[in-house]
Amino acid sequence: MTNDELAVSAFSFSFIVLRSSFIIMPHLSIRHITKRYPGVTALDDVSFDLLPGECHAVVGENGAGKSTLMKILSGVIVDYDGEIAIDGEVRRFRGTRDAEAAGIGIIHQELNLVEQLSAAANIFLGREKRGKFGFLHEREMEEAAGKLLSQLECHVGPRARVGTLRVGDQQLIEIAKALSLEAEVLIMDEPTSALTETEVARLYRVIGKLRERGVTIVYISHKLDEVFRLANRITVLRDGRFVKTLDRAAANAREITQLMVGREIASVDLGSARRAADEVLRVEELSLPWPGHARAWRLKNISFTLKRGEILGFAGLMGAGRTELLECLFGASADRPQGRILLEGQEVRFETPAAAKRAGMALVTEDRKRLGLFGRMNVGHNITMCSLTEATSAGLLSRPRERRMAEGSVAQLGVKTAGVRAAITSLSGGNQQKAIIGRWLLTRPKVLLLDDPTRGVDVGAKAELYHLIDRLCREGLGVIVTSSELPELLTLCDRILVLCEGRLTGEFSREEATEERIMHAATLRE
Amino acid sequence: MQQFRNEFGLILAIIAVIVVTALVNPSYSQKPADNAMEIARQTSLLGIFALGAAIVIISGGIDLSAGSVIAFSGSICAQAFYLLAPEGSRGIPDTSHLSLGVFAAGIGAALLVGFLIGTLHTWLITIVGLPPFVATLASLVGLRSLAKVLNQTITSALGNQSTKLNVDDRAFIALGRTWWVPLVIFLVLGALAWLLMNRTVIGRHLYAMGGNEQAARLSGIRTDRLKWLAYCLGAMTASIAGVLYTAEVGIADPVTQGRGYELNAIAASVVGGCSLQGGVGLIPGVMLGVLFLRVVIDSVAKVVGSGSDDYEGLIVGFLVVLAVTFNELRSMRELVEKRFFPGMLGWITVPTLSMLIGTVTYVMGGRHIGLSAGIAALGLLGAIKIWEETRGK
Repeated sequence: MTNDELAVSAFSFSFIVLRSSFIIMPHLSIRHITKRYPGVTALDDVSFDLLPGECHAVVGENGAGKSTLMKILSGVIVDYDGEIAIDGEVRRFRGTRDAEAAGIGIIHQELNLVEQLSAAANIFLGREKRGKFGFLHEREMEEAAGKLLSQLECHVGPRARVGTLRVGDQQLIEIAKALSLEAEVLIMDEPTSALTETEVARLYRVIGKLRERGVTIVYISHKLDEVFRLANRITVLRDGRFVKTLDRAAANAREITQLMVGREIASVDLGSARRAADEVLRVEELSLPWPGHARAWRLKNISFTLKRGEILGFAGLMGAGRTELLECLFGASADRPQGRILLEGQEVRFETPAAAKRAGMALVTEDRKRLGLFGRMNVGHNITMCSLTEATSAGLLSRPRERRMAEGSVAQLGVKTAGVRAAITSLSGGNQQKAIIGRWLLTRPKVLLLDDPTRGVDVGAKAELYHLIDRLCREGLGVIVTSSELPELLTLCDRILVLCEGRLTGEFSREEATEERIMHAATLRE
Repeated sequence: MQQFRNEFGLILAIIAVIVVTALVNPSYSQKPADNAMEIARQTSLLGIFALGAAIVIISGGIDLSAGSVIAFSGSICAQAFYLLAPEGSRGIPDTSHLSLGVFAAGIGAALLVGFLIGTLHTWLITIVGLPPFVATLASLVGLRSLAKVLNQTITSALGNQSTKLNVDDRAFIALGRTWWVPLVIFLVLGALAWLLMNRTVIGRHLYAMGGNEQAARLSGIRTDRLKWLAYCLGAMTASIAGVLYTAEVGIADPVTQGRGYELNAIAASVVGGCSLQGGVGLIPGVMLGVLFLRVVIDSVAKVVGSGSDDYEGLIVGFLVVLAVTFNELRSMRELVEKRFFPGMLGWITVPTLSMLIGTVTYVMGGRHIGLSAGIAALGLLGAIKIWEETRGK
């Protein structure tokens, strides 16, 4: 090698060193990922990079493709177009094990734990440590689990049965599991949706520690305050397409909301000049026992009233008892509630939802797919399900009459559908919800109970649902709404009651209510 | 048309099986009327309680007890005849000339017992909280045994220890042997079942409960009552079949009657388009499913030339696997792309299936045919396996 050549190579070497110190190589690259389902494109040519050690938030409305993308990253979905590269090397996972081996862990919103097993057994599930003769090495696993959990500020014994733990601790067990896999990328899907304030604070500290260890965090959330607090960079997805990746410093919440929705959201102003009439529902000292649980009561001494033409909201964290309360009012609770319920001044005691329906109650359930929809049936059949007897003559269903009922509902509520004979599953979440509200309106209820009615509904359709609920209220219906999103209750309700661990811990009129006050009441423990 | 794809497919399949059988075996072309009547009678006997089984399946449950209910209710019918018939010579009740009242009482008793069994199942399922599988499995095992013991109690009083009861009345026997009697009952019940499931509120609610029981309950549908109806229909249609099977041979014999028939009924429902998850299935489809099952059983018996029942279990098992597989596969594309023999499971399954095919062809066609079919299957499935392996990499 001549001197010149040496000089050249030395020069280029130093150039490479310089280059790499200025430009950080992405740890994980998502390149042109497309995923189609029959009739739907869930992801359309999405590309972006994750840098080593960053906290990268992925935001978007429901149906934007966040979950699908994360399922591809974690090896749950294996047939897709496009590629994933880790440290520049293209990888194609054939299952979750491949993704785990490549250092990608995921904490699902619905946790994936075996409730009957201990914390340690869950952490090492599928990778159990084995001693002589292939028998389980329990002690070693428990020690390792204990160490991991204490690093995460989780004060739970490794032998504790997971089913008996609080959601926040269960989540930390999932994180411990990911750490024991030496995950370099940790995906968290809406991790705070079930956590109390202190648990959220602890989770933030844990995320900080993970980042110190060099773990890349992918944080999926629709709560922008969390995103701004945690993330270095924010990627927005909309309708399955990549919109933009922004640096936190260069972004603001308003801009991100606009990017998510693709249009300016007109703020909804409802509730002015509603006039409540006489009382339709009165609940006195309602309690719901919880056999075999330390707290003994799911609900304790709840009293309130509801007037015609009024919207009453129930706020509270997950597990505060909102759903249980509505179930009690609808005769659908597993155990028998105590206390008195008066409907139009008459004391009622519903043994079954059928009895509640006859008396004029209507419940739109929280988990639409599991508890509300008849997925095999068409839109019309879903709408008429509760009022079929009105479509019969001489005991036989009259198809034209049933069709007219369904079409009337579709027109009244503005359900966007190809027709009443279209499959209910072909509708968007918001339109499915309208169909179910239509189902109950056909029973001409006196009280309408709406359990988290906008869950899984995108922003545009939410506003439509708000206007619909407002209209029904103005027509004289008494409405009770629960929601996991406070702005929703603040928009809709005339009064907001707050539940915490089954007790009523606050009541605010429309004028008094603020997010801070409600959150304070929602975390008032005994 | 998409809606009735399954029914169309079944009609085509039935025609195809009949045509092929007629070409291979002279019986269909030589004695078309006899064959048609026999198939109609057999189809109707199975179809009567398959309708009940299908309604239970559509409503989201399962009834495993049909075979035993057939045996039990047939015995109850014969016992009623014994108890009510006038005493003949040698102190044995004379069942050769039953009065109309006794006749009706026997059939009424069988139907009543069906209703009570259905009620008991509903109680076990809705109140005690047993899974339908367990509740009706208990009846499957228990009722046959109970019928045997009850028959013995009657016969021992008459001086023998038989578990069988003979019924000699000609009109009663004609009920089971006349080809059009079961057929008329089957068609009438089929029409009523169609009306119930398609044109009434109850039917719609049954579909709803089968599709999503929780949602049905929260829609104010009284699911416990619907289950009561479904399980009673399941048991009572089996009772009707039980009376007819007893009439066919003139003997109530709980040891052999209706053995394994519950699975035939479930198979017919599944072949007819019902999903065991509930909420799906049409009554005309189920009726065609029964016909298809019987036509195939008859066809194999004709072609192989043995008793029609010998291959029944084999055919039912094969058709159920095939029907459910095709129901699960949503498209032809999935059929082509699916890996059927992955990994170690595949290496064991390929020779197992080949052996099965070889054995079946051996018993049907002799050693040479069996051996060559087995080897051919091994070659073909092995090639698929190896192709899948190479494509996977």
